[in-house]
Amino acid sequence: MADQKRKGKKFWAAIAEAQSHAMDTDPDIFVAGQDIEMGALWSTARGLRERFGPERVRNTPLSETAMAGLAVGAAVAGMRPIVEIMFIDFMACCMDQIVNQMAKMKYMFGGKAKLPLVIITHQGAGTGQAGQHSQSLEAWFTHIPGLKVVMPSDPYDAGGLMTSAIWDDNPVIFITNKRLLGLRGDVPDEPYRVPLGKAAVKREGTDVSVVATGRMVQEALKAADELAGRGVSVEVVDPRTLSPLDSETIIGSVRKTGRAVVAQEAVRFCGYGAELAAQIADEAFDYLDAPIKRIGAPFSPVPFAPTLEAAWIKGKGDIIAAIEEIVPVGAPA
Amino acid sequence: MAAGVKYRKAIAQALRDEMERQPESFIVGIDIEPGGTFMTNEGLLERLGPERVRDAPISETALVGLAVGAAAVGMRPVVEIQLIDFATVAMDQIVNQMAKMKYMFGGKARLPIVLLTHQGGGRSMGAQHSQTLEAWFCHIPGLKVVTPATPYDAKGLMVAALRDDNPVVYITNKLGIGMRGEVPDELYEVPIGQADVKREGDDVTLIALSSMVQDALAAAGELAERGISVEVVDPRTLSPLDSATILESVKKTSRAVVAHEAVTFCGFGAEIAAQIAEEAFDYLDAPVKRVGAPFSPVPFNPTLEKAWLPGKAEIISTIESLIPTASSA
Repeated sequence: MADQKRKGKKFWAAIAEAQSHAMDTDPDIFVAGQDIEMGALWSTARGLRERFGPERVRNTPLSETAMAGLAVGAAVAGMRPIVEIMFIDFMACCMDQIVNQMAKMKYMFGGKAKLPLVIITHQGAGTGQAGQHSQSLEAWFTHIPGLKVVMPSDPYDAGGLMTSAIWDDNPVIFITNKRLLGLRGDVPDEPYRVPLGKAAVKREGTDVSVVATGRMVQEALKAADELAGRGVSVEVVDPRTLSPLDSETIIGSVRKTGRAVVAQEAVRFCGYGAELAAQIADEAFDYLDAPIKRIGAPFSPVPFAPTLEAAWIKGKGDIIAAIEEIVPVGAPA
Repeated sequence: MAAGVKYRKAIAQALRDEMERQPESFIVGIDIEPGGTFMTNEGLLERLGPERVRDAPISETALVGLAVGAAAVGMRPVVEIQLIDFATVAMDQIVNQMAKMKYMFGGKARLPIVLLTHQGGGRSMGAQHSQTLEAWFCHIPGLKVVTPATPYDAKGLMVAALRDDNPVVYITNKLGIGMRGEVPDELYEVPIGQADVKREGDDVTLIALSSMVQDALAAAGELAERGISVEVVDPRTLSPLDSATILESVKKTSRAVVAHEAVTFCGFGAEIAAQIAEEAFDYLDAPVKRVGAPFSPVPFNPTLEKAWLPGKAEIISTIESLIPTASSA
């Protein structure tokens, strides 16, 4: 099993391959970003420069506003740009372009503008990169009508969602978690798609639904494994696309299990998990046997000190503790 | 109703009188010298002079950066960003500098900044000038966020914000800026982090934000005639949130509706609903409902904009879905 895992394709390679396949078939697709020519900071564009040349794989200066503006302008003029913002923290520099231009142009032009573009960016803590380079900010983008937001949790979904994002005619914000980028998994060599707006039940179970996003999906699967040994059957649901959200799959799961835990890496307060919990509290209320538990980071900047950062970041242990509060769990074997 | 002090004047009073007591305070913004786009700074230039009341060029990043730098070296700046939509231009300064500096300097930096800004639809200002974005700022540790709903709270929260040693994002709703109400002449504080029960009731708790507080009170008045007793809770400060007051109310009434003008999806109401679903679950007799705007940009067309904006009617129909009334029975 471990050998098989080592043989799989890495998360970043699945993203690079998806872009490469799409660029093979459509000359209007180009990629731009800082250090993109060398394959991008997290290797998600590795090999593209060699294959597609300097016209279609272009370094940009350090101006996220200019980069997002480039994507908007090129897209509205008929290209299919893919622009990388190295850290989601730096999106703070281009929120005007993203929120006031990119997200609104189609609506404000009466549907006549088409913006088929992808912004790929990377987030998350646990890498010792401190308060200004470790945030998880997906909830900013999901609050904005006109943006689609995807957050894959494994290599297969990363490749498939990237392909769907590229071919979608609307702006898609594609968010990875830095600590997932080296994760290996089965990824087909040929092009394939994971549809936008479709959640995945990553593990079936009957006692509790854990709705997890991004890196927390992997943590939830580990928690589910461990709890299975103690007689608790955990269903793990991964929305994959945060906006538009596949509420039906999530609500369906909670109606079946009667209990829900929501898990995200971001700061808990006003995070995406609040939306998930609020929908469950409305749509699945009559099926609930216990309070909805929500896991997220404490309300502080991400600490730089490794010991503090390790205490700050949530994971498997927190998911197990939350489940133990609402499901009768046997003692550890 | 014509009696009383206007909301914008209540803010101006607080700024004038409190800043006069704080010689290290100053205010900058676009069109601030004539009194600010929404006249919340009326009379400041005359009272405090051109050294402390300054027009700025159109660069929100520079404006906020100025505030961060000045605050870190001992001043007490007030910065106005005309429309919250323009805060998008300054998010790096706000989120990566202003919110984090105290923490990253081990508590040694002090940033007494008030960031005053205005939001909301209903004035036909188009999608890029009508958004309601408080949820972004609430998600960021290191920022306090207040959204006063009445002239009284507007003045008291501004005084409290000016006296606070941390960055406070102070958000008004444009449509509420002309509202009148009782406002004492003297300086007083409405404490940051304290919710207010605006109307007591037994059947359902209606947690309303900013402009929706007035809609909530109007809805409560109408529903009272139909025998439904609505308790209206106004958080006033969104971060840090006074969860205790909200949860206590829901535990009493057993039903909760959350109302805000922002787009429902991932809005601040989700946080309140999630807290209720976790902390008051055993007291709930009905699903937690949310009232907010539909998932689209704010329409420019006045007819569409009116349909887009949530208000009293949506609150009433939502409450009716939880409690059968005489008219709907």
